Amino acid sequence: MVLPGAIWLLLFSYLPMPGVVLAFKTYRLVRPPADAFIQNKFIYSLIKSPWVGLDNFRYLTLPTNIDATLTYIRNTVLYNLLFMVVGLVLSVALAVMIFELTNRFLAKVYHSIFFLPFFISWIVVAYVVYALGSSQGIVNSIIAPMGLAPIEVYKEKAFWPFIFLIANIWKYTGNGSIIYLATITGIDRELYEAAAIDGAGKWKQFVHITLPHLVPVIVLLQILAVGRIFGSDFDMFYTLPNGAALVRDVTQTLDVFVYGMLRSSLPLGYPAAAAFLQSIVGFILILITNAIVRKTKPEMALF
Amino acid sequence: MDIPIKPEAALLDKSFASKKEGRDMLALSPTTNVVLTILLGFLCVLTLIPIYVIVIASITSEASLLSNGYQLWPTEFSTLAYTFLFSQGSIVITAYKNTIISTVAGTVLSVFMVGLYAYPLSRPNFKFKTFFTFFAFFTMLFGGGLVSYYMVTRQILQIQNSLWALFLPSAFSPFWVIVMRTFYQTNVPNEIIESARIDGANEWRTLFQIVMPLAIPGLATVALFSAIGIWNNFFNCLLLVDEAKYYSLQFTIYTTLNNIRFLLENADKMAGLVNISELPSQTFRMAMAVVTVGPIIFAYPFFQRYFIRGLTIGAVKG
Repeated sequence: MVLPGAIWLLLFSYLPMPGVVLAFKTYRLVRPPADAFIQNKFIYSLIKSPWVGLDNFRYLTLPTNIDATLTYIRNTVLYNLLFMVVGLVLSVALAVMIFELTNRFLAKVYHSIFFLPFFISWIVVAYVVYALGSSQGIVNSIIAPMGLAPIEVYKEKAFWPFIFLIANIWKYTGNGSIIYLATITGIDRELYEAAAIDGAGKWKQFVHITLPHLVPVIVLLQILAVGRIFGSDFDMFYTLPNGAALVRDVTQTLDVFVYGMLRSSLPLGYPAAAAFLQSIVGFILILITNAIVRKTKPEMALF
Repeated sequence: MDIPIKPEAALLDKSFASKKEGRDMLALSPTTNVVLTILLGFLCVLTLIPIYVIVIASITSEASLLSNGYQLWPTEFSTLAYTFLFSQGSIVITAYKNTIISTVAGTVLSVFMVGLYAYPLSRPNFKFKTFFTFFAFFTMLFGGGLVSYYMVTRQILQIQNSLWALFLPSAFSPFWVIVMRTFYQTNVPNEIIESARIDGANEWRTLFQIVMPLAIPGLATVALFSAIGIWNNFFNCLLLVDEAKYYSLQFTIYTTLNNIRFLLENADKMAGLVNISELPSQTFRMAMAVVTVGPIIFAYPFFQRYFIRGLTIGAVKG
């Protein structure tokens, strides 16, 4: 029964794993001779390609490139931290508000609406950004009569952190709140009743009952999020700015950077070095976070 | 869990904490409730604005667009874009066809693979349970990175430039395996499986006739999320497809948006080379975006009754 899934994992997840060594090699395409044991061009070339140590990483830190590399790392990490914190707070807040709503039918309708953006692709969101914020956009047709200067999001860096943050909140808060809502629904009502009798208000009930029940879920999700801190929502960062070069400094993340190098004529080792940082550092961070959690609260550790 | 409440408080007189009274006691004050209702309602409206924006942009007439730009309420409406979209536009139709085929194939495949993979992991007596759980879970923590993945899919698996490229990479997910495993554990009592076995049903028959029907909300959730995932997928096509006849819908509409923005912004530089008024209509592009979202909005209510339940049960203990 596990066979089809196991084969898929083997092909799409495990097979690329040894490929991380590309970061330490200069990849050269070599045609395997007819008598070679391995006939696949990529595997054969990968084995035959010379080891170059940290040369590929050195490319990323060349005086001409170091600024870009650091900028993209900064963007990736800061956007991720921002989304983690804001996403967590808003999802929990939304879950609590929906749970507390007296009218259960309305609560369901609301939740369905908040969940809807999760199903809309980033490409469509890119259209929305265009229709709102381009030189011909709706925002301009609203602010022009007020005598304000027109805006052009594809040329102005300052807008992008807000665009990404709002887009991220819009798309994921409803989805994120589901798991918290489910956890809150599962909490024993008698705890709240007892607290209410003891004179605890809603806020005290939240801090002393709801929050402690949510902590295990929060910790679990945050450990996984830490592991993705060098990754990013590729579709969002790639499509929303629509390739606008003027705002690249605030929109490009490591994922997009790696993809760009991969599709350029640069040696394969350069993007591989950046990708190596992403997978290895992410993995190490997960291990560290998990170890810390295990030290303090063993029952909440991921593994 | 360390909850600072006096233990005796939880053992209050039952009559006092009866269900109805309990609800009333815990209910929000009417004022707070009204404020909360209005606040959430307002946020819902905000949530729907982007959808409103592209719908309205798609029915703005071309003339009104050229003179006034996009507006919240256009001076002139027109459904010409839709007529145009369905009358010709072979790119869109090919992309639609590719996306529908890969969504159906990918969804069937992922329900099949996730459903099958998760079931043995949910049974207490499966010998390699720990191994296969870890085998799936590990891929959530570590991956070979984009470059290696790109080379493997193109050079070893060689799925580029085919419909396979659009759905095979998204046809399985360790995350959903873990959700499904929990779902089986909590929703399919062990006794039912054992009695089926005693009645002489083999492992497969038990799975298909007893377990799967009980697991429908969970499987429907997996189906919905993988369908949406493949329908909305942009990356597979970007990475693995170079030939227009295999383009997916999302990729096609992204390329068109990209082209129009480039042409408009560089119109001054290209004066004489391109005549803006001859560009394929902009509302046409917005209509394309709307048509992409359409099927999702229609499928949503049908699946919704399943997936909230599927998600909550599967995810809580996961």
